[in-house]
Amino acid sequence: MTIGLCMTGMVAFSACEEAAIPMDDIGTPMRLDTISFPVIKAVSYQVPPQMGKTNYLYFGKKDGYDFKYSLIKFDSTSMTAKTPLSYYNDSLVVVDSLQLSLRFELDSIENNPEFQLRYFPDGGDSVFNEMTTNHMNFDNLIASSIISTAQMTSDTTDTNSTKVYLNFSLDSSIVNALKDTNVTDFNRSFLVELKDDGTESFNFRSIDLGDGYGPQLTVFFRQFLSDTVVLDTVARLYNAIEDLSIIVPPVVSYEDTSLLSVSMSKGLKSIVMVDMGGWILPPKSVISSANLILNRVEGDSISPYSIVSHPIKSEGDFIKFSSFIDDPYEEDYGFYTSTKIINDELRINHRRAATQIGRANYTNYGFKLQTSFSNDPFTTVFFHGLNKSDLYPVMRVIYVLP
Amino acid sequence: MFCRKIPIISFLFVVGLSGQSIFNAYGLGLSKSFQHTSSAGASSIGLVPTFHPGVSLDNPATWSGLKFTYISGSYSNREMGIDANNSSNTGGGIEKIQFVIPIRDKYGFGLSIKPVNDHYSYFKTDSISFDFQGKTIQSNKVFRSGGGLMAGTVGLSLPLNEKMAFGLSLDRLFGSSRDEQSLILNDMHYRLFNIRTYSGSTINFNFAGQFFSNNKIMILGFAKVSMTGSPVSGTLYQFDVFEDRNQNFSYDQDDYPATAEVDTINISNIYAPNSFSLGFNVSFKNNMNIFTEFQLWNDEATNANYASIIKEQIGSKTHLGAGMVRFGNLDARSWQDRITLRLGSYKETYGLRYSGKTINENGISLGFGFKFAATGNQLDISYRKGSRSMEGGHKEIIKDFTIGLSLGDVWFLRRRAKQ
Repeated sequence: MTIGLCMTGMVAFSACEEAAIPMDDIGTPMRLDTISFPVIKAVSYQVPPQMGKTNYLYFGKKDGYDFKYSLIKFDSTSMTAKTPLSYYNDSLVVVDSLQLSLRFELDSIENNPEFQLRYFPDGGDSVFNEMTTNHMNFDNLIASSIISTAQMTSDTTDTNSTKVYLNFSLDSSIVNALKDTNVTDFNRSFLVELKDDGTESFNFRSIDLGDGYGPQLTVFFRQFLSDTVVLDTVARLYNAIEDLSIIVPPVVSYEDTSLLSVSMSKGLKSIVMVDMGGWILPPKSVISSANLILNRVEGDSISPYSIVSHPIKSEGDFIKFSSFIDDPYEEDYGFYTSTKIINDELRINHRRAATQIGRANYTNYGFKLQTSFSNDPFTTVFFHGLNKSDLYPVMRVIYVLP
Repeated sequence: MFCRKIPIISFLFVVGLSGQSIFNAYGLGLSKSFQHTSSAGASSIGLVPTFHPGVSLDNPATWSGLKFTYISGSYSNREMGIDANNSSNTGGGIEKIQFVIPIRDKYGFGLSIKPVNDHYSYFKTDSISFDFQGKTIQSNKVFRSGGGLMAGTVGLSLPLNEKMAFGLSLDRLFGSSRDEQSLILNDMHYRLFNIRTYSGSTINFNFAGQFFSNNKIMILGFAKVSMTGSPVSGTLYQFDVFEDRNQNFSYDQDDYPATAEVDTINISNIYAPNSFSLGFNVSFKNNMNIFTEFQLWNDEATNANYASIIKEQIGSKTHLGAGMVRFGNLDARSWQDRITLRLGSYKETYGLRYSGKTINENGISLGFGFKFAATGNQLDISYRKGSRSMEGGHKEIIKDFTIGLSLGDVWFLRRRAKQ
C-alpha cells in the first residue's frame, strides 16, 4: 500500500510544464553592441600567376594570355598494384615502353596541333612546386631535349563517350631516370608544350579536376621467371600528383590597378587596412561577426566566386599599385576565411582575427584578398576602393557582452 | 521496515524541480518559508504544531511530543501564473525529507534534508530589432537558473521542565547552482554559464512552552532564533560567452570560439541568514487550535550577489501568518475523525538589498491530514494560493500543491510494563 501511494503521488505530481516567463529587458545581463571600423587604406598588387590548382592544363594563347607549357609530376607507385618505380631496377624485369597521356577537355578534335614532351633527367629530387612555380622563377632550359611528340587521338572504345587523348610514347630508357632507388622523391617530372606557337588554346584535364582523368604515365613491362620463362607484357598506371601550367599574363589594365582587383590568371591581389584604432573587446565577450564588406563594381553577372582572405603579417605598401616577383605579404593561415560574393557584395567574417586584435594579442597590419582555387582562373573581380562615396569598404562588428 | 521505505522516498527526491519565478533570479533566490506539508497547509513557518497535537516536524523543540518515530517526505508541485500575459508554468520538487525519533517522551533526535531557497527561474525578454547600417538585427534574451542551497540538518530536542522544551538544530548548507544566460541574435544563441558551489552553516535555537492551561484551553508559545554559524562561501566558475552553433546548450568543439576560458573565483560570505521567529498557539479541548506567527529574516552577507542573473539580492524578509488547525484522532473509530484540517493565511515582504524595492507576497492555504495504521502514519495534502509582486513590476500568481507522507514506527519509546 505504501509503495502504491508513493508511486501514485509521483506520477500525479511530477508533471512539469516549462515555459519561459516574458519580462522586460531592464536589469538583465547579456548585451549586444556594434561598432564600425573604416577601411583607410586599400590597394591592389600583382604577382606572377600561380596556376597550380586549376582544373585544366592550358596550352597556346588566349585573350592576351600566353600559356607557355605545363609541368607534370607522377607518383612513384602505381595506382592499383602499388608497384614502385624502383621495381624496374630488377634485372628480371624488362620495360618495353612507356606512355604519357593527357585527356583533352572536349570529346572532339577541331584542330590538332603537335605537342612535344621533355623530361628532367638532371632535375634532382625537385623540379617544380605546384604552389609556387611560375613563369618568373622557373627555367625551362633545365629540361631535356624533346623525347616525344604527339597529336590528339580519339578513343572510341566506349561507344557512348568518345574521349580525346594526347598520348606520348616514350622510349624504355626513360625509366632509368625515374627508377632511382637512392632518392625516394626522384623528380618523375615532365614538361609538355606545343611544338609551334599558335593563336588557339587547348585545355587538358588536370589532376586537380578530381574526375580521375588527370595525366597518367603507363609502364609496359615483362617479367622473366627464369632464363627461358617470361610472363606476358603487363602495364602499370602511375597518376600525376602535381601538375601546373606556366602562363604569362597580359599587361594590366587601368581597372586592374585603380580598383581593388582579384584574379588568379593575372596574379592580382589586394590588401586593405581597417582602422581599428585602440579598440578593446570587453572581457568574456564574443564577436558574432566582424564583416569586412566590399562591394563589387557592377558588371556582368558572375558565376559563384569566392574570395580567400587572411590578415597579413607585415606592414603593407598602400601607396600605389605594384608588381612583385614574389608576394611580399605573408598571410597568417590561422585566420583563413573563404567567402562567396553574394549580390555583388562580399562580407568576409574576420571575427577570429578581430577578436585577437580587440584583445591586443595581435597586430593589425591589414587583410589580404585573393582568389580561391575553386574560381574560374580567368575571371577578374573588381571591388570599389576608398573613392566610392557610398560603396566604400568597411568592417562592421557585432559582439555580445556578458 | 524503514530500510524498505527509504528507497521509495529517495526516488521521489530526484523527481522534478521547484516552480520557477523571476524573483528566484535575484541573488540566491527567495528563501523558503514552508517546508513540511503539514506546515504548508496552515501557512505556518513551522513553529506551531501542525503535524500532531503539540508537534511541528519543523520545530525540534516539539519533537518529544511524538508518539512514534517518523520518516517523512514532502513533495510540492507549483504553478506560477503570470498576471501580465495570462501565461503560466508548473514545476515540482521535493520540499523536505526528514527522520525524527522521539526518545522516552522527553527527548527527540532528527535528521533532515531540504532546499533552503528557490533558485529555479526561466524567463525571456521581448524581441527587439534594429538596423545596423542597412542590415536588420533581431535579438532577445533567455535566462535560466536552477539548483541552489540545500540544508542537511541535525536536530535535538531537550526538556527544560515539564512545560518547556528546547530544540537545537544545526544546518549544514551545501549545494550548487547553475545559470545559463542566452542572447539570441538572428536565431543564433550566444550562451554564458555560471556554476556556483556553496558551503556554510546555520544554528537554530528553538523554544516551546506551555504558558497557560485549564480544562478548556491551553496557550503555547514558540520562538526560534536562527544564526549564521559559518557564512556561506563558494566557488564561482564563470565561463566566457560562446556561440552555440549546434544549439545543444553546452560548449563543445563545434562551437565558437574554439576555446572558452573559465574563471574560477572563490568568494566568502555570500549568504549569512539570521532570523527571529515568534509564534503562539491556542489549543481548545476539541482539538481545535488557532495560531499566529511572525518572523524577521535578514541576510547579513557582506559580499555581492555572486553573479546572479539579475544583479540584485534578497536582503530581508518579514512574515506574518495566522491560521487554524483541527487535529484528527488516530484512535477515532470513524475515518472522518482521523482527518486533520488546516487553514491559514500569510503575508510576506521581501526587501531587495540594492534597489530598496520590496516584493510582497500574500496567500491563503488549506490542508488535510489523514492518519492511518497503528503507528500513526499520516498522509498530508495542502494547497496554497497566493500572489507575489514587486512595486511597479512583475506580478505572479502562485498555486502550490503539496503532498507529504509520514511513516511511523516504534523506536526508543517507553513500553508498557508487562502485567
